[in-house]
Amino acid sequence: MTDKPIKKEKRIGLFVCHCGVNIAGIVDVERVAKELQDYPGVSFSTNYIYMCSDPGQQMVIDTIKEKHLDGIIVAACSPTLHEKTFQEAARLAGLNPYQIEIANIREQDSWVHTDKERATKKAVKIVKSHVAKARLNENLEPIKVDVNRRALIIGGGISGLQAAMDIADHGYEVILVEKNPSIGGKMIQLSETFPTLDCSQCILTPKMVEVSRHPRIKLLTYHEVDSISGFVGNFKVRIKKKPRYVEEKLCNLCGECEKVCPQVVSDEFNMGLAFRKAIYMPFPQAIPGTYTLDAENCLGLNPVRCGKCKDVCDKKAIDYDMKETIVEEEVGAVVVATGYDLYTMQALGEYGGEKYEDVVNGLEFERILSASGPTGGAIRRPSDGKVPGSIVFVQCSGSRDTEHHLPYCSKICCMYTAKHAMMYRHRVPDGQATVFYIDVRTGGKSFDEFYQRTVEEDKVLYIRGKVSKIFKEGDTLIVWGVDTLTGKKVEIEADMVVLAMAMVKADGVQDLLKKLKISTDIHGFVAEAHPKLRPVESLNAGFYLAGCAHGPKDIPETVAQASAAAAKVGDLFAQKELSHEPTVVPVNDELCSGCGICITMCPYNARTLDPDRGVAVVNEILCEGCGACAAACPSGAAQQRNQTDNQIFSMLRAMLRE
Amino acid sequence: MKIHYYPGCTLKQKTTALDVSTREAMKQLDVELVEPEGWSCCGAEYPLTEEKIVGLAAPIRVLRQVQEEGGDVLVTTCSFCFAVLKRADKAIKDDPLKHKRINAYLRDDIKINPLTKERKTDFEEYKGEVRVLHLLEFLRDRVGYPRIRERLKRDLKSLPVAPYYGCRMLRPQKEMAVDNPDSPHLFEEYLEAVGCAAVDYPFKQECCGSYISVSLPAAATEASYRVLRSARMNGAKAVAVTCPLCFYNLDHRQDAIKEAFLDFQGIPIVFFTQLLAWALGVDKALLGLGEHSVPADGLFSEKSSPEVRP
Amino acid sequence: MRVKLKSGRDQRKFIQRIEELSGENVFACYQCGRCSAGCPMASEMDLLPNQIIRLVQMGLDDDVLRSKTLFLCASCFTCESRCPKGIDIARVMEAVRHILDPKGKDAFGPGEIPPELAQELPQQVLVSLFRKFSK
Repeated sequence: MTDKPIKKEKRIGLFVCHCGVNIAGIVDVERVAKELQDYPGVSFSTNYIYMCSDPGQQMVIDTIKEKHLDGIIVAACSPTLHEKTFQEAARLAGLNPYQIEIANIREQDSWVHTDKERATKKAVKIVKSHVAKARLNENLEPIKVDVNRRALIIGGGISGLQAAMDIADHGYEVILVEKNPSIGGKMIQLSETFPTLDCSQCILTPKMVEVSRHPRIKLLTYHEVDSISGFVGNFKVRIKKKPRYVEEKLCNLCGECEKVCPQVVSDEFNMGLAFRKAIYMPFPQAIPGTYTLDAENCLGLNPVRCGKCKDVCDKKAIDYDMKETIVEEEVGAVVVATGYDLYTMQALGEYGGEKYEDVVNGLEFERILSASGPTGGAIRRPSDGKVPGSIVFVQCSGSRDTEHHLPYCSKICCMYTAKHAMMYRHRVPDGQATVFYIDVRTGGKSFDEFYQRTVEEDKVLYIRGKVSKIFKEGDTLIVWGVDTLTGKKVEIEADMVVLAMAMVKADGVQDLLKKLKISTDIHGFVAEAHPKLRPVESLNAGFYLAGCAHGPKDIPETVAQASAAAAKVGDLFAQKELSHEPTVVPVNDELCSGCGICITMCPYNARTLDPDRGVAVVNEILCEGCGACAAACPSGAAQQRNQTDNQIFSMLRAMLRE
Repeated sequence: MKIHYYPGCTLKQKTTALDVSTREAMKQLDVELVEPEGWSCCGAEYPLTEEKIVGLAAPIRVLRQVQEEGGDVLVTTCSFCFAVLKRADKAIKDDPLKHKRINAYLRDDIKINPLTKERKTDFEEYKGEVRVLHLLEFLRDRVGYPRIRERLKRDLKSLPVAPYYGCRMLRPQKEMAVDNPDSPHLFEEYLEAVGCAAVDYPFKQECCGSYISVSLPAAATEASYRVLRSARMNGAKAVAVTCPLCFYNLDHRQDAIKEAFLDFQGIPIVFFTQLLAWALGVDKALLGLGEHSVPADGLFSEKSSPEVRP
Repeated sequence: MRVKLKSGRDQRKFIQRIEELSGENVFACYQCGRCSAGCPMASEMDLLPNQIIRLVQMGLDDDVLRSKTLFLCASCFTCESRCPKGIDIARVMEAVRHILDPKGKDAFGPGEIPPELAQELPQQVLVSLFRKFSK
């Protein structure tokens, strides 16, 4: 007989919950408690009607103290619901929270079976397996990590601006990165906004100014985020500073450079309906207020081929030798507010694709409506400048089309189409406005009243039917539609057509999101952690989302979501230090052979290879305890805390014996 | 190059122009067309209900014959036949049950040689490996436009021709998989290769009226009128078609169109292969121009398209 | 007079037969009307293509089986190519024609073509026309 050190047997308490009739209706809970009474390791066994209630929890606390328990099992519903509840109860009783086991005999048993006898036998097995595991559980302490109370906001549109202001007003530092020469996003391109018909620029520019002047906001325009490494509370960001070739602080906006620049380029701010020079200000209220030299369209900087702008610049603000530089920042949280783009008209061949100048999308029409746009707010059609006598608006262009385009609804088009039609009727009183729709979705506050005004007061004709084809005959556009309500096929001659193109993911952002490993849905929109209960957090810890980067939404919702994201960032920053679940997978150096399989398995980039020691290394903060590495490790060097291979096998043995 | 070719019944009787011009053109390109022995009507319509499986027997029989003769490609010029053959073949490929049933039907097939009276009853099962191509695809992919261009003997001087696709070649896209039905360019590229200037007009894939021209002529007359009017408005001097039914509706029925729509101006209709044959130097007499109701001779003259190479 | 919609199983019978024959899910249709908007023959029809689908969805077989629309469809597949839900309306039309009383009168039979016209017509028209519209 060998002298083996005898480990002190654990004293485990079992509490079987009735959950009303949810469990007790199928599983004989009293029998389960009774059968487990003499099971090895079990010192106390009872059943109760609602374990999660106050008396139920109090019972757990009292029993732990009285019976000197060093482990408990609550046989009840899924751990996703009450694991934390009982961990807290244990903590209050002086027991390490990681000695708690939740045996799920509801979702895994009583809710999916009807045979009472067999369901009860199954419950007994489930509980026994958890006892086997509990006997080997160790005390664990949450992993603590510092938080860097600075936030990075990617995107300077309304969502990014709102989030920046809110976080900065809380008292934290914010870095706002915007890839375009100015902040403002898509909202600054709009003319009026529904349902109030506020001038978009009038309500947005005060926010833009506030952001630029805020003492705690560092505004980095014409910058692009290159990479982010690290983990929540401790990110390292590499930002590319693109060369503007104009010194922001020196430029006084005199505009002389623009006058002499020979290069005329399509103006993207005006959606290609106007021109700008290679050295330009995107729009008059741009922030920062400075010119920018677009090197791609400049005649040449290296060697300098023209040089006229520099010659006329009094303030010597132009510097052709500027280079791209890298800025490095450290932050604790990141808000992704990268916005959206519109689906390309090229995809709709039956509507002319991009063949016809007078078939435009919503943003192009906004520029035509805008007082600062190419027509000064007069509604004229792009091809010949004629005032259109008849405009047809086509909703759902590319949206709600599971077969050929995008299956989802783009949310804002019904409202902005009503707004467009209304604006057209106000400015061209003789004009005929027709809207083709399948449904009119105007659920927001005061939205339906707005739409009814368009129909009743502005006499816009709404026809329920999806347009089949749009083509040109001579000077006019012919629109083939149908009125499903009267059963008539219709043909309309129009001078202009406005397509409500679907809202899609922002162009050029996919690569960045992939680099940052931010999960997106199949359409490229950033994925939220839970569609109902966690709408502003990403699945990746430390990343938050706001605005249309998350999915189609209007301005009121965007602002609300941005403030919500800011509040969540505030939650993070309010903590003294971050606490991370300790049920991670450490590396046993002695067993690790450095094969690297676990590194490839990790979806959280938590593992790396230490080249000097030839073993895997885990960053416990990043590890989410999914166990993929533990399953893949051929040598057993990767063992999850409180879910070791040994524990799992003991659970199996407990279940299969008999 | 030797290739199996399916003319279809109409091409052998009522619209020989399409058949003859195809043969003559292919001769100039060194392509030998071989008709599957004892071929029969494809049925003209692909059965659209899940229960009319027997309708697949006729086209599959044709494909089986091609397989028997060692061919793996079948080329056709008539878009109606093309649609039936291609869709029937795909139905067999996608649904093993249909495949089994059709082969079961065809097992009872008997072929009797009209001359020798010999009976053939043992046939191999159709494996589903023959590819059905429209002549336009064949010319683009297997012959290649460069070869066509180097063999052109007449310069069509960028004659503005409106390509008329009709319905059957492109739709349903998932099964026909020839081109994008709303912005196609197969026919346009062909016309450019032959020396014409392809006219872009919005009615190139709108229905001509099809068989409704017999059951309710007025409806079809309007449909054909709109197609031709659009072609003309966009500068076309001729409309090229790939289907005898389209030809009938757009060419033979121009009198009816003129009666119903007083502003209608006639326009000659040609088969796409007539243009090819003529450009490759084939004699005018072999183009089948006699079958046209609206005279198309003007398009095929030494003056309009001079010889460039002897 | 109110149209009494059949309930439960009775309503399903007609719809199920149509779905079986056509292989299409008629309930995917959200009545956008695009099929009707592009149909070349719609102006002659008594019921538009989208209305036919709607009546099938509601199980109103009498209305569907009596309409002239069924015999105006040219099987051009414009509807199918435009439908945002990928429904092949031409197949649904064919399924309805299939259900029509097999012993009934031809919608368009050989007797209705004058002999001179018959001489002129390309055979493919006759074959396709009769396969679609007559018994």
